[in-house]
Amino acid sequence: MFLTISRTLKAGFQNFYRNGSLSVAAVSILTLSLLIISIIIVLTITANLGLKYIQDKIDIRVYFKSDTEESKMINFRSEILKYKEVKSADIVSKDRALSEFKANNSNKPEILKAIEAVEENPLLASVNIKAVDPEKYDVIANSIENSAYKEDIASINYQQYKLVIDRFNSTIQTIRKTGIFLFILFSLIAILITFNVIRMTIFNHGTEIEIMRLVGASNNYIRLPFVFEGIIYGTVAACIAIILLIPMVKVVTPYIIGSAYVNVVQTGFTTYFVLIFLIQLLLGTLLGVISSLLAIRRYLKI
Amino acid sequence: MIEFINVKKTYGSGNLIATALENINFKIKKEEFVSFVGHSGAGKSTILKLIYAEEKPTSGEILFNGEDISKISSKQLPYHRRRIGTVFQDYKLLPKKTVYENVAFALEVSGYPSREIRESVPQILDIVGLSNKMGSYPHEISGGEQQRAAIARALVHRPALIIADEPTGNLDPISAWGIIQLLLKINKLGTTVVLATHDKDIVNNVKKRVITLDQGRVIRDHSKGRYAI
Ligand SMILES: Nc1ncnc2c1ncn2[C@@H]1O[C@H](COP(=O)(O)OP(=O)(O)O)[C@@H](O)[C@H]1O
Ligand SMILES: [Mg+2]
Repeated sequence: MFLTISRTLKAGFQNFYRNGSLSVAAVSILTLSLLIISIIIVLTITANLGLKYIQDKIDIRVYFKSDTEESKMINFRSEILKYKEVKSADIVSKDRALSEFKANNSNKPEILKAIEAVEENPLLASVNIKAVDPEKYDVIANSIENSAYKEDIASINYQQYKLVIDRFNSTIQTIRKTGIFLFILFSLIAILITFNVIRMTIFNHGTEIEIMRLVGASNNYIRLPFVFEGIIYGTVAACIAIILLIPMVKVVTPYIIGSAYVNVVQTGFTTYFVLIFLIQLLLGTLLGVISSLLAIRRYLKI
Repeated sequence: MIEFINVKKTYGSGNLIATALENINFKIKKEEFVSFVGHSGAGKSTILKLIYAEEKPTSGEILFNGEDISKISSKQLPYHRRRIGTVFQDYKLLPKKTVYENVAFALEVSGYPSREIRESVPQILDIVGLSNKMGSYPHEISGGEQQRAAIARALVHRPALIIADEPTGNLDPISAWGIIQLLLKINKLGTTVVLATHDKDIVNNVKKRVITLDQGRVIRDHSKGRYAI
């Protein structure tokens, strides 16, 4: 058993490097289809990390009319906190709103000048509410709109975030669908090419196979070199794909998703790389084995 | 050792059916030396292929040591093949392997341990008289020597039976006779030999059992046979 494996593995490697440019073709196309699936995985992970990042920033801001007493807001807050959908609720007073606004615009002197020109603080006090689940903002907003406080509320601000999330999600969906279509397409091409390369190997080893059969080599012994050949193509392709993927992620992601999330995304990735590599390895081997089994079934008379 | 009972073999199907063998009956005992003779197309190769189970009979039974090999499974086939050594007109040596490697290949692919291979191969090459050509490639040696290398490969499993299909077909008379003497020597050492040939001089000089085939039928079976068609 061990002898069979080691000898046929060696034969598989010989097939691999004696095939020269044919091996290169098989590996390239396998690499391409692995890269496609990896990019889909990367984008999905990126999107999910980005989404989580956005979701952490999301809240509902309930702005109160400027003449509302603070005790009312405190009541409102404690009532809101009783909803099971609500994670937290913070009161932002007019003064705090102003200082936050100034801090956010510290590099825009015209805006600062404009706000200082107004004598009274023009900003409204608000209660910032975070939901347990971003899906629940609708429910929360609705119940606030119909609460006893609606007379005191100037505006409820949450809709634009929902749009952003929806757009984010639908973009991801499109990318994923096109990606999976491309992956299947390139996988089929990869299988076809690898199949033909292995078929060539089988033809080139006609005499050898004939002799093996005549001297009583087991069927597995005859088959295995070609199976290993397929596995080698897949494994080499997976290694090349991961090597190409690392710089792609490091260099390209900042341009795609904008610098705001880069840190979040890239720290997330190092942990995912091992997983991505394992998936590539698994898929690469799978594609290689499928190709070789097809070629063996069709062209290896045993 | 080998028994053919009412064996019939046809090739092709439908309108293109061709009968290669019909109503074949014979027995070959252990340690016999049997020559099948006949014109080209008489069915010699087909009989040999049936013995090493490269082909299956259309009807009839083929017993090898009492077991019917016409129904052998593809899983059992390799084990059947290891009991038989095969030699052909075109030697079937691998051009990129040396004589030693060609012989060792037969053992490697059947899963023999390396130590046993290192012991057996030189012994067999000594028997066929190629000890001094172990490191040569097939194109560097004569046709007769190539055929000896092929015989060494056939023998290295120590099979009970050697099947030789026109082994001298590509050789000059002197080399041819050398190969036949080697087969006779192997037979004397206890291996059954089944030879197919249409070389009249060889058959007449061997003076062993001759089974004559004509158009797929056995027409003569003489224990000290001569070539006569
Ligand atoms: N694979 C095959 N397909 C079709 N016909 C074949 C095949 N092999 C042999 N035959 C036919 O069977 C007959 C016997 O052939 P063969 O056994 O090779 O004869 P010999 O070896 O005596 O020359 C011939 O008529 C040949 O044409
Ligand atoms: Mg013939």
